[in-house]
Amino acid sequence: MGSAFIVAWLSASLRLAGPVLLAALGETFAEQSGVLNVGIEGTILLGALASFLASYYTGMIWLALLVALLIGVAANLLLAWMYVSLRASQVVAGLVFNVLALGVASTVYRWALGNSALPESIAMFHPLHLGALSNLPLIGPVLFSQTLLFYLTIALAFVAHFVLFRTNFGLALRSSGENPATADSAGISVSRMRYAGTLISGAAAGMAGGYLVLAQVGIFRETIVSGQGFIALGIVIFGRWNPLKAAVAAIVFGACDALQLSLQIFGTHIPPQLLLALPYIVTILAISGLFGGKAVQPAALMTPYVKE
Amino acid sequence: MQHSLEMRNIVKRFPGVLANDHANLTIHAGEIHALLGENGAGKSTLMQILYGFYVMDSGEILIDGERVHLGSPKDAIALGIGMVHQEFMLVRRFSVVENTVLGLREGGGPLLDLKRASEKLKDLSHRHGLDLDPSVEVGSLPVGVQQRVEIVKLLYRDARLLILDEPTAVLTPQEKDRLFAILRKLRENGRSVVIVTHKLKEVMELADRVTVMRDGKVVATRTIGSASEQELTQLMVGREVNLHAEKSSRPPGAPVLKVEELRVGDKTGREKVRGVSFEIRAGEILGIAGVDGNGQSELAEALLHLREIKGGRVLLNGADVTALSAAKHRRMGMCYIPADRRHLGSVTEMSVADNAILGQQRKYARGWFRDTCAARNFADGLVARFGVRRASIDSPAGKLSGGNLQKLILGREIMSGPAALIVEQPTRGLDVGAVEAVWKELLQAREQGKAILLISAELEELLNLADRIAVMFEGRIVGTFDAAGASMEEIGSMMAGGASGEIGGTALTTAMQIPEARNGETV
Amino acid sequence: MAKLFERRLTPLDSPLAISTTTSAAFLTAMLVTSFLFLRYGASPLQAYAALFHEPFGTLRGFGYSLVRASPLALVALGTIVSWRSGFAYLGFEGCFVIGAAATAWLALLGAPGAQPGPMPSFLFFPLAILFGFVAAGIWAALVGIVRARFGGNEVLISLMSNYVAIFILQYLVSGPMRAPGSLPETRLLPRATWLPFILPGTRAHAGILIAIAAAILAWMLLRKVTLGYELIVTGFNPFAARYAGIDVPRRLELAAFFAGGLGGLAGMVEVLGSQHRVMDGISGGMGFVGIVVALLARLNPVAVIPTALLYGGMSVGADAMQRHADIPSSITFILESLAVLLVLAFDALRYYRLNPAFWRSAPPAAAEELK
Repeated sequence: MGSAFIVAWLSASLRLAGPVLLAALGETFAEQSGVLNVGIEGTILLGALASFLASYYTGMIWLALLVALLIGVAANLLLAWMYVSLRASQVVAGLVFNVLALGVASTVYRWALGNSALPESIAMFHPLHLGALSNLPLIGPVLFSQTLLFYLTIALAFVAHFVLFRTNFGLALRSSGENPATADSAGISVSRMRYAGTLISGAAAGMAGGYLVLAQVGIFRETIVSGQGFIALGIVIFGRWNPLKAAVAAIVFGACDALQLSLQIFGTHIPPQLLLALPYIVTILAISGLFGGKAVQPAALMTPYVKE
Repeated sequence: MQHSLEMRNIVKRFPGVLANDHANLTIHAGEIHALLGENGAGKSTLMQILYGFYVMDSGEILIDGERVHLGSPKDAIALGIGMVHQEFMLVRRFSVVENTVLGLREGGGPLLDLKRASEKLKDLSHRHGLDLDPSVEVGSLPVGVQQRVEIVKLLYRDARLLILDEPTAVLTPQEKDRLFAILRKLRENGRSVVIVTHKLKEVMELADRVTVMRDGKVVATRTIGSASEQELTQLMVGREVNLHAEKSSRPPGAPVLKVEELRVGDKTGREKVRGVSFEIRAGEILGIAGVDGNGQSELAEALLHLREIKGGRVLLNGADVTALSAAKHRRMGMCYIPADRRHLGSVTEMSVADNAILGQQRKYARGWFRDTCAARNFADGLVARFGVRRASIDSPAGKLSGGNLQKLILGREIMSGPAALIVEQPTRGLDVGAVEAVWKELLQAREQGKAILLISAELEELLNLADRIAVMFEGRIVGTFDAAGASMEEIGSMMAGGASGEIGGTALTTAMQIPEARNGETV
Repeated sequence: MAKLFERRLTPLDSPLAISTTTSAAFLTAMLVTSFLFLRYGASPLQAYAALFHEPFGTLRGFGYSLVRASPLALVALGTIVSWRSGFAYLGFEGCFVIGAAATAWLALLGAPGAQPGPMPSFLFFPLAILFGFVAAGIWAALVGIVRARFGGNEVLISLMSNYVAIFILQYLVSGPMRAPGSLPETRLLPRATWLPFILPGTRAHAGILIAIAAAILAWMLLRKVTLGYELIVTGFNPFAARYAGIDVPRRLELAAFFAGGLGGLAGMVEVLGSQHRVMDGISGGMGFVGIVVALLARLNPVAVIPTALLYGGMSVGADAMQRHADIPSSITFILESLAVLLVLAFDALRYYRLNPAFWRSAPPAAAEELK
């Protein structure tokens, strides 16, 4: 195992990290406002389908991404209404929504394509070649040969961090998740903030679905989303509800995922499942409260706010 | 506000209670005005109306002679009125400056200009002696400093009238002095301060004028110089005793419950009970008088070990029960009727029958299985005996009225046959009929030889029911009286922090340390 | 401006009210789904006929409905026991596979050629039930301990733990428990370990009997046993529970154990009754659909069996519908989930009612202040 392995591994790590990071960035906003949006798993699926169909029919990848975003927002309007206005159990509504999304996605997919054969390929994002940068040893193929969506996602991490911590909106949003009574007394509409948080997570999750299809897999299958949404939830926690730390966490997750792939190719005795399970185990420990993790989550997460 | 703020004929009703009954209040610019009264006097409600949290039913508010409308806190803030609540409205994870600018949209754009805000904050902090560091996380600050953050929030919004609701409840003596210095400085600045309180000493020390409220009405307004503590106490508590309970005199029996030097802290580590000692005998009711927040709830919970005990002992019939579990306490004969009947004393979603055996569920069982027959019989008997009306034993307990729910809880605990009963605010929120019924039951329990600790903010209740009354103030017992012959003024004065031992009364004892060796007589 | 809906003083929660909103929700879901059927040119009535006929109108189909219903019912019962105790456990996918793996391990132990030799049926099945229950129960109890002792969020931890369990399973079927050959699955379990068939002419097996027994036991636990009383009090109000002398942390851990055990039984039933081998993906999402079943059954153990039968039947009917009428089976997912979402939405009606003041010109001030 030499540098070829390392390069392949790191490059794959970043590549795999992209979509889940994107979803996690949006979910960070939802959770900071006090909403645990379990429904992002289903939203990613819907976004994946939407972007696939859009790219299939129009061939325009940026439009497809936009469609995925809009679908994500639309789907989460229903969720936001249930979480905030109906004050339904967030976990219940989100879980059931995931099942609904699976049903809708499968059905729509078959409608659209009927019995015709799968298309050979759709328009996709391809890894970039940034000239001299991409040719640098080691760093080149790893850092500078990713798809445009990857760089966009990284940029969004910085934007998300800025918005959350350096704008009035971010402050108001976070106060709704920390202490809604205080936010209310300061004149902030907690409902509005939670709707915003949920819709942002919907937009990001939809886009993440588009990312999966348009920059990685290239086709749509019903099983294209198998846990990425829940992984994104784990990344939010692992990243301590901070977009930049989430980026690091996502790369760690991606690295574990990529490592087991690479190891299989190269052949070792370490059971690959151990590596796959590692990020989850670490996240569980992080939020178990064994190390004082509980104190870090937004204090009013999952607590509906009743305005007296 | 340049000159004055006037509240005229304010009326505010809540279901079942007239919280403000044509209240009048005038605040001048540049004065510290105290709003004095006991629990339920209506002072907090009046201030919530001034701050825009509640909307009054009728009346008017004038600032400098002009009528104003206060529909929400935003209106109040815009008019220069600010309030520091008893429970601080702070986001613990945010810094001081973030908490200050929350909700404001400064600098026009969406960006948070913390630097400029910090400058302004530091300036305000310096000018008013608040000594705040803008970048520190609020959650890590001591309570006294957190309170100053609340004050700076108001000053940042250029509040001309600051309302503080029971501000010294959470402060140490040093922090209290610091706060008073700040408030005086605000007064020099030309701002007005309204301090809502039940503590007489502080009123005398700090205020320029005082308005006394009682039962929703304003009973008097005085300038501090011209009123004596005695007069104010009289105004605060003096009222006719409406109800009378028939209480037989009995010689008390053997000691049942003994508490020694109990120390209890709260979540933040401050001591809420600071070395309390007393003893209750069989067939005796010891009343604990005091305004909410002086450590009574913590005391009650600690006696059942529902709260961590920092020091001291609790002895039941000679056995040390201090560290035993709540279940054990029950089995050994100590029961508790908490103040919060809906969220602690009962499970409102469950049926009356299920609530009737709450705490004794193991008793109504045959092996692993519930003996629902016996439980239902018990519930039927309880409901009949204690007069719990208007609900079948299968309907949810939440549907019962306050009085009926209280009777249910009371009945349940009494019928489990304890040796000692801890009762907290048993008649809060109940109508006259229910109050009488509860009193009757408590006196009957006394007749049966139970030792009862009765914690109540209602002096009338204590004077009617208790054999002896101990006054609790700031975590300590500051005085004990025989109920017969005790006067409301004396007790009221102690409840307000007045000096003990100044006023006449029988069997006065002061403060904590009661040496055993005094003829075996303890408080 | 008065609000359109105002909160009732006490929500309507008679059994009649609850079953009314539930049925109304399900029927509305059926109504909405029928529009989807139209797209396929099938009349909704025909489509529903196809959907429900096979699983409930034919013997063979009914047998399959029972097969599908058993694990769903068991997961639903696990959900009920844990959620009603105040423990929001979502790790049933994990418990399912752990139970399946443990049972398969036991079964392989008794396989011809393995030590110590095949054991008699009357010993094997109770032992398999015990194994499946305890293994998964311990798995879930770990999460319970984390929640009870350290205050960890069981929702997120249990979701994560599903993945860990799935990876454990993947490891087992690719390694230690793998059958000779290249597929990641165990060998076919010996015939003696198969749950007996109970309905001649169908593939219905004794798993449904286990599910019914579990439902009865769960009902008894919650209603007739003191322990159940304590669990329910803990679920409603942990503070009042402590006041009542209930050891809340212990109860939560126990609730977790029971819930996990029931999830493990679901895996056991699927392995020994239906699949007869263990492979990756054996749970087929039943760990989540079972939760949906519990929600539609309003967390009532009595209603679980019919509800599980309904959902199990729908999954059978969906396949039939796809074969005969060319309507994608995934439409039933829409029906199943929409029903529960509508239950949540209609539930709101029990808490609110239309405010007559909304239509009056001058809203009464007092209505705003009802505290």
